[in-house]
Amino acid sequence: MDAPVKKKKLGLKDRYAAMTRGLHWDTTYQPMDKVFPYDKYEGIKIHDWDKWEDPFRLTMDAYWKYQGEKDKKLYAVIDSFAQNNGQLGVSDARYINALKLFIQGVTPLEYYAHRGFQHVGRQFTGAGARVAAQMQAIDELRHFQTETHAISHYNKYFNGMHSANHWFDNMWYLSVPKSFFEDAFSGGPFEFLTAVSFSFEYVLTNLLFVPFMSGAAHNGDISTVTFGFSAQSDESRHMTLGIECIKFMLEQDPANVPIVQRWIDKWFWRGYRLLTLVAMMQDYMLPKRVMSWKQAWEMYAESNGGALFKDLARYGIREPKGWKDACEGKDHISHQAWATFYQYSHAAAFHTWIPSEDEMKWLSESYPDTFDRYYRSRFDHWSKEQKKEGRWFNQVLPMLCQVCTVPMMFTEPGDPTQIAYRESAYHGMKYHFCSSHCQEIFDYEPRKYVQAWLPVHQIYQGNCYPDDINPASPGDSPVREVLRFYGVNGGEDNGDFSTSQDKSNFSKWRGKEAPEGASDE
Amino acid sequence: MSRDMPDRTAVLPPDGLLTIGDYPLRQADTEDLFYGNRLIYLGWDNHLMYCAPFCVPLPPDLPFGALVRDVLPDLYGDHPEFEQIDWQRVEWTSSNKKFKPDFGKSLDNHGLGHKSLIRFKTPALNGIKREVRAGRQAF
Repeated sequence: MDAPVKKKKLGLKDRYAAMTRGLHWDTTYQPMDKVFPYDKYEGIKIHDWDKWEDPFRLTMDAYWKYQGEKDKKLYAVIDSFAQNNGQLGVSDARYINALKLFIQGVTPLEYYAHRGFQHVGRQFTGAGARVAAQMQAIDELRHFQTETHAISHYNKYFNGMHSANHWFDNMWYLSVPKSFFEDAFSGGPFEFLTAVSFSFEYVLTNLLFVPFMSGAAHNGDISTVTFGFSAQSDESRHMTLGIECIKFMLEQDPANVPIVQRWIDKWFWRGYRLLTLVAMMQDYMLPKRVMSWKQAWEMYAESNGGALFKDLARYGIREPKGWKDACEGKDHISHQAWATFYQYSHAAAFHTWIPSEDEMKWLSESYPDTFDRYYRSRFDHWSKEQKKEGRWFNQVLPMLCQVCTVPMMFTEPGDPTQIAYRESAYHGMKYHFCSSHCQEIFDYEPRKYVQAWLPVHQIYQGNCYPDDINPASPGDSPVREVLRFYGVNGGEDNGDFSTSQDKSNFSKWRGKEAPEGASDE
Repeated sequence: MSRDMPDRTAVLPPDGLLTIGDYPLRQADTEDLFYGNRLIYLGWDNHLMYCAPFCVPLPPDLPFGALVRDVLPDLYGDHPEFEQIDWQRVEWTSSNKKFKPDFGKSLDNHGLGHKSLIRFKTPALNGIKREVRAGRQAF
């Protein structure tokens, strides 16, 4: 009998090498370029993939163990939240609308990110980058699941969450996150990483994650907070991948710099437009405010982001082109977005309301240069109308930007009293944009954006009606038929909060009147 | 977008799009898809109670006068200033060019093709203004 062989255990560094580069081989039956057709066509030159460093050195065996423990803890909290009727502990039922926006517009992005990283994790020739992307792909899928599980408890008690996946593919405001990600993952792998890992995860993620998670904490939503904690360690790994990827491309070849700069310009702006929804949520949908969008922008974008672009200057990278306009927008976009959702609330899948007197005061103090001057009068007028004539809804469909797909609600830089218009012509057709930056994105790759699925145009083409409707003559209430196609229950899933089932149910369950601010306006 | 959108592969102007295969032109919103109508966008300058300009399908032979008389009230009638508009003094723009409409002639006669934007300015009316402590406000 042979003497037992003592198993040698690899150290962290060797194990990382064995589990990443050690799993790679160059193909011989087929040329490498044919097996990996995507990692050169964008023009990014990589001379040495071994220079790719993963500072976390995470390997798949460690990943399973670590994530398994985290998920066990998360599900214990979700269970106890459900058993103890945790939904009754939130500040007031208006808060649930922030969760609706999250499950409708953010959770599906986790799944899209999963798909994007799977693709990248297959297509890079460098094994280190491939493995990092594969692990992020699993993270994103887990986040989709855990968010769905955490929020599904609320779906038992509140409207506006029951068909989130179907809505994501069809509803007008959800085309904004959807088109962002479809644009990203239909680009090449390097553009995808610049878009999602760098511009979104590294530069802008604090503006997405922090408002939702600290909003949850301030408003008594322990279930969502626990999800946030669970995802946080993944997010820091994703941010590291983002900055690592940018530096790697910039260090590999000077010819990469202008390509990366163009992507940063594009994806900063697309990400910023997407965050309009978060800005609105932060300033209008949290009964207990954390901080204003303006403050968050100053802290996370202007100060942190400013330092980042100073650091990247040594590679020849400057701040994104839309930076100054985005900084000006901090005083405006949340108000413009809430005014939009207020008037199209009958066609959305969450509730809106006129801010209470206290909240108006907070808005006025948080936005001393703009709220009273440009926005308060709109809400005052609607509030008066609501008492006198009934709740006002805008019955005609809005014009959309061809690129970001947001209704054309943004004003001209330097003039908050006038909508900004930009127009290009391509192949015999006119195209319209909300800003010079969206126009520039279109003008560089028009063949990509002429395909955009613009919900308003799709409705007029007859592609958003139930089968029993003739799209050439949809009857006296096209909006009602479109909602039927969406699977939205008019008046239950949407409309004004003051007359909602959510509001009356929540008061009944809590056995007392809703706290101040939630009352009929 | 209908699943069987036609490929239009005529000669294209150059663009920056890099691809690994054929990438035909697929315009999603061509005029033939709108049941005889064309899309017209309408925006009332400096009036922000309506959060964005409108998009409406209209017949190409609609007289401009009918647009003003029959269509605009459905879009803007709820605005407190709408009734005060003096249509003789309104300034009209499309594709950044000023034009003087002939109310008897059609949209098509005015060269207002598919997906044209019509902006109008009402010089005497610039949104509801009211004195407040921070100055004037408008919407």
